[in-house]
Amino acid sequence: MGSLPFSIIFIRHHNNSIIFMTTLPTPVANGRSPRRWFRGSLLPYIMIAPPLLLMTLLIFLPALQSIIRTLIVDADGQTGFSFSRYIAFFNDKISVSNLIFTFQIVLLTLATIFLVCFPLSLYLRFAKGRIAGAVQILVLFPLFVPGIILCYALIRFLGTRGTLETILSIVGITGYRTPYLKPEAIVIGLVWESIPFTVLVLTAGLGQISDSLIECARDVGAGNWTIFRRIILPLIIRPLLIAFSLNFLGIFGAYTVPYLLGPAAPQMMGVYMQQTFGQYRRPDDAETQAVITFLICSMVGLLYVRTVAKQRIQQEESE
Amino acid sequence: MSTLNPPLTSGFWERSRHSFVSMMKRDGFGLLALVVLGLVILGPLYSVVLWAFAERWKYPSLVPTQFGFSFWSETFSRADIVAALPFSIVLALTVTLLSAIICLPASYAFARMRFRGRQLLLLSFLATNAFPRFGLYVSIAVIFFRLNLIGTVPGVILIQLVNTLLLMIWIPTAAFQGVDRSLEEAALDVGASQLRVFIQITLPMVMPALSAAVLLTFVNTFYEAQGALIIGLPRVVTMPVLMYSLINSQLVTQYGAIVSFVLWLPSLLLLLVAQRLLRGGYLTAGFGV
Repeated sequence: MGSLPFSIIFIRHHNNSIIFMTTLPTPVANGRSPRRWFRGSLLPYIMIAPPLLLMTLLIFLPALQSIIRTLIVDADGQTGFSFSRYIAFFNDKISVSNLIFTFQIVLLTLATIFLVCFPLSLYLRFAKGRIAGAVQILVLFPLFVPGIILCYALIRFLGTRGTLETILSIVGITGYRTPYLKPEAIVIGLVWESIPFTVLVLTAGLGQISDSLIECARDVGAGNWTIFRRIILPLIIRPLLIAFSLNFLGIFGAYTVPYLLGPAAPQMMGVYMQQTFGQYRRPDDAETQAVITFLICSMVGLLYVRTVAKQRIQQEESE
Repeated sequence: MSTLNPPLTSGFWERSRHSFVSMMKRDGFGLLALVVLGLVILGPLYSVVLWAFAERWKYPSLVPTQFGFSFWSETFSRADIVAALPFSIVLALTVTLLSAIICLPASYAFARMRFRGRQLLLLSFLATNAFPRFGLYVSIAVIFFRLNLIGTVPGVILIQLVNTLLLMIWIPTAAFQGVDRSLEEAALDVGASQLRVFIQITLPMVMPALSAAVLLTFVNTFYEAQGALIIGLPRVVTMPVLMYSLINSQLVTQYGAIVSFVLWLPSLLLLLVAQRLLRGGYLTAGFGV
């Protein structure tokens, strides 16, 4: 097949039947029967078309259109290319403080996630026994608690006169100040949600490191630190990148946790966008805010796709 | 003397204390993690579950002052809750079914057919994860706004359907790729038709993964709140969206607790089969890993 695998498919409803017409040369000329040609070249594309179309229409198209629309501005009856919407965003004190606040939460949450999850993953990879089993169950448990229920539960747990304050007062600790409606509560909620995914990805990466490899290194006199730096770290750099990028995107695009647990001001971008779109009914401004989050996250999004792609291609080659 | 011949009465305590100390020495980190995680992860859920069955709960009591069910009938006589619960279930089932219809043939094609751009097109579905989610929803909402899809059921179905794509394509693709081809070829050799081979040999082998994908999709969709909130309001209200107002108004603590408890039940179902999902490695495949 010298030409494109398929160029255009017209789908027409004609007498209640669907007719496929293609602009491809007649396949018989290539020495293959039309039926085989259909099954070999065209059928897979027809099978993957519906989800691909849906994704194009609902992800690529809206994103692209938002980017274009925010750059073309109507001024005095004239349409033209302009950065004025972005200039307005960065001149607005509230917008800028919300963006900075989002960054701060992202960094703080990411740091906490890795501080908590890395030791846990190492532990779960190398420890055996009943305690490790119980720890694993607890670590995976948040996977089965939807975000909205988590928020409600954390309010009851962390809030004033909640379960935590009760427990502390029984132990004899008084003066508890609730993090609820403060930035700390957002971090707690987001870390809580991210633990299972992060640990799953990291332990999956650590699982590829065989015990014998580590024993070999130990036999030739490598210490714990050397083993960690020279053997473990290079092998799990990919899982680390995946955990980093997906958590980054998840936190940057979060809505439920910051909306329900966080302060009224400053807001994270998700909450800010929803307010601009839903309450103030200013879709144009909401769109500008959305595109700004796209641009900030684009590098991280690419990092994610690239890392997963490399991993997948390597897997397929080894099979 | 006593160490050689410990008195019977303190035997159990001595032994358990001894095993605790040795456990502590052997696995101090694990024990610490267990205690902290137990408090932080189970503590919040403890509060919700007990609040759902509390008549009164006065501070500082660790358990409700009085247990009872009177708030249950009150909760389920609220018109908004009565309307939202069946609607949410039907909506999640619809989205899951549509997702299966459009994604499963695609995943079969990705796994078993050779065509140009296969790898790239399969990887392109990672895009559903590569955007900051809420920004993307706003972008979609702006388009839906002009198409008059805001506040409509089709609008909510579409936005929830996008969320299911990666999971419903990647997990089944991995499963179809994992099928041992030699069995199929053997069946073809002895004269079975292709359809029969697919139904009797291929399908049973991929069924655990397919059901895992369907179950995960259903549960994820059932709990999906952000897309439904921005696209559905004000006319389409799902159960998770209703939770926002129940939490914010906070008239009666028990309403939120009871709804949370009921909403959580499908997730418990998932918890029961989680072991199988974990063993198959499907959970991470759903994240695009």
